[in-house]
Formats: sequence, C-alpha cells, structure tokens
Amino acid sequence: MVSEDKLREEVSELLQEGKIKYFIGFENGGPGCLARPAFIQQPEAVGRLIWSPGCVHNLTRFLQDEKRRRAREKNPDLRPVGLIVKGCDSRAINVLLQEKYIERKDVYLIGVSCELMGVIDEAKITRRLYPAKPLQVKFGAKDTILVSTDQGESEIAASEVLADRCLECPANFPLVADVVFGEKINKPNPQPYKSIASFEAKSLEERWAFWQDQFSRCLRCYACRSVCPMCYCDECVADSIAYAVSADTTAEEKAQKVKWVERNPEPQENIFYHLVRATHLAGRCVDCGECERVCPVGLPLRLLNKKLEKEAKALFGYEVGFDANLPPLISCFRDNDPQDFIR
Amino acid sequence: MTKMDKILPKSSFSRWLKSLSSMKVFFPKKEASGWTLTEVAADGTIPPDYSYAVVPPKKLIFPQEEIFFEFQQTADDGLQLRETLPEVPPQVIVGVRPCDGRAVAALDQVFSGSFEDPYYWRRRRATILIGLACNTPPSNNCFCLSLEGSPSSEEGLDLLLTDLGDRYYVRVLTEKGGELIKTQSSLFSDPTEEEKNLRNKISQEGAQKIKRNLEAARELPPKLKTMFDSPFWDEAALSCLRCGICTYLCPTCHCFDINDETRALAPLKGRRVRTWDTCQFPDFTMHSSGHNPRPNRASRLRQRLLHKFLYFVELYDRFQCVGCGRCLDLCPVGIDIIEVLSKARNHGA
Repeated sequence: MVSEDKLREEVSELLQEGKIKYFIGFENGGPGCLARPAFIQQPEAVGRLIWSPGCVHNLTRFLQDEKRRRAREKNPDLRPVGLIVKGCDSRAINVLLQEKYIERKDVYLIGVSCELMGVIDEAKITRRLYPAKPLQVKFGAKDTILVSTDQGESEIAASEVLADRCLECPANFPLVADVVFGEKINKPNPQPYKSIASFEAKSLEERWAFWQDQFSRCLRCYACRSVCPMCYCDECVADSIAYAVSADTTAEEKAQKVKWVERNPEPQENIFYHLVRATHLAGRCVDCGECERVCPVGLPLRLLNKKLEKEAKALFGYEVGFDANLPPLISCFRDNDPQDFIR
Repeated sequence: MTKMDKILPKSSFSRWLKSLSSMKVFFPKKEASGWTLTEVAADGTIPPDYSYAVVPPKKLIFPQEEIFFEFQQTADDGLQLRETLPEVPPQVIVGVRPCDGRAVAALDQVFSGSFEDPYYWRRRRATILIGLACNTPPSNNCFCLSLEGSPSSEEGLDLLLTDLGDRYYVRVLTEKGGELIKTQSSLFSDPTEEEKNLRNKISQEGAQKIKRNLEAARELPPKLKTMFDSPFWDEAALSCLRCGICTYLCPTCHCFDINDETRALAPLKGRRVRTWDTCQFPDFTMHSSGHNPRPNRASRLRQRLLHKFLYFVELYDRFQCVGCGRCLDLCPVGIDIIEVLSKARNHGA
C-alpha cells in the first residue's frame, strides 16, 4: 500500500530543502469522485496531497507548461519539477526522454505502484451506484474500492470499476522514478488488447462506418489534444492560426501557411484532425487513456490508439515507453523492418 | 399572455408528442457518454434518470457551424454571392432544464440589440422549448439558486413540465406553448387545488436539494473589476489545459469565428462560415502580427469569468452564467468555478 503520510513527508522535505521548484500531485475536489491535479509550492500545503483510485490524471502533461514557462522567462528557475507518476505515466516520461523533450534532471519523480489495482472509470462507478452520486473513492481492503456517495458508503470489487486501460495494463509499477511508494507486485495481463478485440473483428467497411459516425459527433474542443502528454507541438495542423507567427513573420510567409483543416465540425474535417493525431501517436501513445476520459461526447479514442500500439508491437516488436535509451519508433530504421509495403 | 396551468397524465404523453410530429421533436436520449437531445420517435415519457443534455440546447439554436453565404468567381472576374439564410422547420425541444431556458434568454439578448442576427433568429423563432423542472438536481454541482434562477424557473421556456409521478403539471408560458396544447386539448385537464399544492411542494423540495452555493453573487462584479491585474489568476489557472470544454458546453457561451472556406480555385468558389470559438484557445486573440494580448492561461481564465460575472452584468444586468454545473462536471482537471469565484471575492480581503 502507498502511504499518503510518507508521500507527504517526502514532498515536504523536497520543498523544504529546495530540491524541487514545486510539486505536482493529486488532491480531492475533482468532479464527481475524481481527484484533481494539485500544484504544491509550499511545504505547509502538502496535507492536500492524496493517493486514491481517483488519481486518474497523467501529470506528465503539465511538463509542457513548465517547458513553455522556462522558454518565456529571462532567468528561469531550473530546479526540477517534482511530480507523481504511476506506471503508465512513467512510460510517458520515458517517451519524453527518448524524444529529448525533457531531460532527466528536469524532473524529480515520485513513483507510485498501482500494485494489483489501478484507477477508476468514473462512468462505471456512476452507473453501478445510480441513483446514489459518488463523491469520493478510496482503496479498500484487498481488491475493493470504497466509494462514499450522497447516500452513504459502498464497497465495490475493483475489477468492476477500474478503467479499461488498467485492466489491460502492462506496467503497474513505475519504470523510471527517483523514489517509489508501494510494492512491486507482478500483475498478470492475460488480455492486453481485450478492448479492441470486437472492433478488430469488424470488416473494413464496418470500421469506416463506425468511425465516420463517431467523429461526426466531435465538437473539436481539442480536450483530447490538450490533455495528451505527447501532444506538445507548439504548432498544430488543427489550429486556425499557427502559433509560430511572430512579429518578424512577413505577410508573404503568413499567406503561404497552409490551412490543413477547416474549423467547421463536419465529418471530413473532424476525421482529418483525429487521424492526424492518431498517426502522430503511433509508437508514442502510452495508453494513459486521458483523451478518452476527458472527451465530453464520449469518443472511444483509446480504440484507435490501442490498435496502433498493437500494430507497432506486431510489426516492429516495439513497446512504447519501456526504455528511454531506445530511439523513437518513427525515427529509426532496422534492416529487418517489414518492407513489403514498398512496391 | 397570462400563464395557464394544465395536467397531462403520463399515459397520454406519447400521444401528445405524436401530435407534434409535423415538427422536429428533440428528446432526451441516454448514450454511453451521457444524455443527448436527439430527434427520436416520441415514445414513453422523459426517463426518470434524465439529468441534463451534455451538449446544451444552444446547439440547436446557435449551431456549431452556420453558413453565412456562398461565393463564386464570375466570368468577368467579379464575385457572385448567394445568400444562405437557414430554412428552419419548426422544432420542439423536450426536457429543457430551467437553467438552459434562462441561458437561451441570455443568448436572445446577445443576438438582438442594435443588430438582430438573422441566422440566430431564424432558428430561435422556429424553436419551442418545453422545460422540465428539476425535482432533484441533475448534477452535484447545480447552483442555479445562487444566480437568480431556480429548478422551476420559467424564463426562456414556452412550457414548463413538473413531474408529479403519474402526471405532468404543465405550465403554459407563451402563445407558442399554448398552440402545442390547443390541438390536443382533450388530453389535458385543469389542475385541482391538491395538484397545485403538490407541484409547489415538489418545486420547493427540488430547490432544497441543491447543495452548491455561490454566496452573494451580486457582490462579484465590483470586486472582479478591481482584479484585472491580480496575480490571483495565475494560481487559479495552474492546471488549466486550454481546452474548449468549459465554453463549448456552456449553455450561454456564444463566441464565434468567421472563416472563408475555399472549395475550388479556378473559378474561385467557397463559402463564409461561422463556427463556435472560445476564449480558452490560445489563438482566439492572436493578432496577425503575432502579438497575443491574452498570452497565457491566467488571462484566458480571467476573461471567461470576467465576461460572465462582470462585462455581461454591465451590459445586460444579468449574469452570463446560469449555474448549470456543466463546466464543473466536465472540466478534465476539476477547475471549480464556484471555488474560484469565492476565492476571488475574498482575495486580498
């Protein structure tokens, strides 16, 4: 079990000794029974920190804000940022290291082991407990999750309400961290691609029809992109204006900017956006599932990314985020890579 | 018009809705991701577990995409424009929550005034809103009472239904609403004293079940006016992801972008399109020079709250927030507008 007290002590010490600039963890107070990201600047505030099955967020996403802050400031504070990483989040760290987006010294990682649990799918809990409204979740005794609701406490078997990605998780223990809380327990993962099985059984035509229908509902709020630790580009084809425009950009240069995607939410534009994003995540997505969690209209984005993850493994034997010393999938070539697509 | 009260047994509800089939009827439908307002065959009554439509009814009046006109290059190198004002068949939206009705009333003000937006009003005039009072709050984060609304508010609606168990208490609020009842008047009866009392009791109980509260909201505008340059916003926006959820799903947010979309080059062909836009996107205020007057998340969060709780109040003497709770429920990182505003009010005090 991860001890919240020890976690708080550790963060308090790091802040007191000035070893980190600030700490990103979790606190209560998210919507429903979820936690929310907490930015801890002062040692006195560590009491806010929690560790619960509601700690769903991938906090590595916030390293983008820190990177932009550093680029903006004249004399930036270059001390590492402290943050909590679950196994999946630590895979994201490895990818960011591989891509040289961050350096190892930029972060102080407090790893937490998910042991045999994981984090919840809030929708599953809400459905399970209706009409009671879940307010907070805690780890129960072995294999259960305690939910406090507006109508009292409930104890539910974890397997019923864990997020799908946790049920298929290949990394329940942090792969990279400075200190880890919780035990390293081998967790069997007999069906790593279970959630895409029924989708894969469909014909090409059925799949295309399925995605056309799904993407026609997209509002292009870009929450999937905004929450993604891998979507860190300063310039995105999906935006109406490229951010890279500066005071020095000439009118001619601006006129030559290609508008790849229109702002209207018609299916062809939505599909273009999502397929560009999916292909850019191939060999990079660590299946933290955040894009799917935050989507307000419930697009099953994990399906796309999980499928690409499986393809990368089948074709190139490549598993994302397990080794920071490997070159990224897309930027390396081996003689034995499949080449039968070249005609 | 004077309001009129009627009773409709639930057993007659589908028959009544079927009588409206000459119009497009949008009805709450439960999807895996939450409730939507969908054009479905009217059958049964409004499900008891209906909360609110995740994408609010504004989408049916102020759609995410509106084509203003089409253009085409002519042989003599001129440009021919074709007007594309929408032809909107009458549409009925069933199950509009009272907060969303008030939001439509706020949108009406935005799209009127010195310029009446013809695209908006074509849709608005074709729309009939059938409200459903909240016997229990649709969300843990409902706070309509703090913002001059209530779970049985009537503003913006044409009819307001209150669920009395096996009957609906139907309050007719407008001529448009009255028309819907006229054709099927045999289905409706006049309420008894007992039914009137029951309706009042249920309304009061509904209000009592609301847990979230934003205290003294009218004190916010003057306070916020002093806070434009406050470092408060930096702290409040630390976890903001700059996505569009809080605004796109807000029933009152109405900012838009206008683009010319080219469909062919020779001869040039295309259309001018209005789409939703949001102050939360970094490019919302990006100048063509590359300068961005709202360069960071703090300034964008400030804009969202100041628009709702200061500028709009100055313009229209009402909040541009109806307390529906969507932005709290759906924010990926749990930014809580009640909490932020409460902290703002006490900031530096």
